[in-house]
Amino acid sequence: MTHIIEVDSLIKNYDGSRGLDGFSLQVPEGAIFGLVGPNGAGKSTLIKTLATLLKPTSGSARIAGFDVREDTAEVRSATGYMPDQPGVYQEMRIREFLNFFAAAFRLSRHERDQAVQQALDFSGLADRAEAFVEELSFGMKQRLVLSKTLLHEPRVLLLDEPATGLDPMARIELRQQLKALNAAGVTILISSHILSDLEDICTHIALIAEGRNAVDANGHSILHLQGAVPVSEPYEISVVSDPAAAETLLRSLNGTHFLERNGTVIRVEIAGGPSEAARILTALVAAGTQISLFQPSGGLEERYRAVFSRRHA
Amino acid sequence: MNPMIGKELQQRMRERRGWILPSVYLLVLGGVVAFAYFLARENRTDVQGSSLGVTIFTTVVFAQLSLLLILAPVFSSGAITLEREQRTLPSLLTTLLSPLQIWWGKFAASTLFVLLLLFVALPVLSVSFAFGGVGPREVFMATLNTLIALTTVSLIGLFWSSVFRRSVYATAVSYASVIGLAVVTAIIFFILIAQKGSDNWNEIAVWKKLAIYFNPYALVIFGFAPTKLLYPEWVRSVCCFAGISLLCAWLTVRNLRNGDDNS
Repeated sequence: MTHIIEVDSLIKNYDGSRGLDGFSLQVPEGAIFGLVGPNGAGKSTLIKTLATLLKPTSGSARIAGFDVREDTAEVRSATGYMPDQPGVYQEMRIREFLNFFAAAFRLSRHERDQAVQQALDFSGLADRAEAFVEELSFGMKQRLVLSKTLLHEPRVLLLDEPATGLDPMARIELRQQLKALNAAGVTILISSHILSDLEDICTHIALIAEGRNAVDANGHSILHLQGAVPVSEPYEISVVSDPAAAETLLRSLNGTHFLERNGTVIRVEIAGGPSEAARILTALVAAGTQISLFQPSGGLEERYRAVFSRRHA
Repeated sequence: MNPMIGKELQQRMRERRGWILPSVYLLVLGGVVAFAYFLARENRTDVQGSSLGVTIFTTVVFAQLSLLLILAPVFSSGAITLEREQRTLPSLLTTLLSPLQIWWGKFAASTLFVLLLLFVALPVLSVSFAFGGVGPREVFMATLNTLIALTTVSLIGLFWSSVFRRSVYATAVSYASVIGLAVVTAIIFFILIAQKGSDNWNEIAVWKKLAIYFNPYALVIFGFAPTKLLYPEWVRSVCCFAGISLLCAWLTVRNLRNGDDNS
């Protein structure tokens, strides 16, 4: 498998603090890779480093084979970066804004005209091309900035919290746009706190905490959300009586990973999909456990909670 | 053409201050000419022709320099901080524009605006031609030296703009720098020559004169010397301004090259 982003033991020191502490990551070409972790985990630092805005203290990071420290021009040509609070030139017209960035990416006049028109179409702002940027709503400005990052047809999109501040409709549109871009071959690395959005679009999720790779109960730092790789899924089991016996049994069964017991509610992770879940359920019933509820207990949000609440504790 | 220059000029000319400042500037300069004329006529009834022309010219040159020293930091000290404040700097720094091109775009736009102000004031400055005593050489040297001083001030403003996150701080420190050049250097110079002072300029040690070489008013005065006497004083002063300019330009580009690391 080709990895378009390769991060190896990346360390980034600030004055008196450490933004990244040996973080590693490999993003396959064509993936939509989510980056999740609590505030201050190092998500923005990682994305800024990949975007060549920050120089790594040590370790290496390569995009499309180019070193982010040495080959900055090549990396910038290959990537489109959207910061967490994307800024715009309010007093420019929308077409001028796009034209300026197209020129800044050294597109020829012909390429520029084409790219700007494509960006206008992509953002749905074609009929407002001569309007001033300041007239746009926040969501439209966000769309404009996203389309601006696509002017030079990057192979990789680095998006730092792109959905922050967007209303639900704008978030849905953003997800559709990202899926369309991914279908067109663009690899996307996206950080977000909106886990439901990530769950909808991402093929993989990388866990990050305190600048390092965080791991779930199974020792995975990368969660596969889509694709052929078997996933481990959290389940919630409510037992009617004797939860301690049920816990003991679950701890002894292969294919389950005990997470926690809260009264009569037990949470486990089951690897191997629905057939494995059915086997566990059968084993519980065969052992005489009375069960009132047995269901997957949410997706990414639950897994996030399992990983990061453990770290908080 | 560097896209930064076009973008910067377009933005500046669209701002209200893009036309208000030149208008106010011309009105003030016109007022200064009228004031200088009436003052000269008032104080000395025998003032005629060339002496009146020189009085008006000198007054306008120094008034223009003072006005532009006040205005120049307005155009330069917010150039990079504004990009930070409106959060466009990361997008800019991740394009294929080099830090040098970004700096050059910012510098050219702020200097071109100052050039515009100098250019529109030429007719006002040339009023003194009508009275005689002032030739094209004086006008040229006054304009050249004003431009040198203002270029340096613009570069200082750009440097502070690359250091601070907020325009208000960059502007405040830029004005402090202008006061340093225009006032503090003169005070230092006069304190130094007051000790065991000599009336003969040529007898003053170079180190005692060093501060005044950094003074924009002194630069303009040195420039009025006959061509053969431009060396050493005017040349030394130009070198001092060039030194500050180069240092500020280098530091600004270095700060931009460090990207987000210094913001």
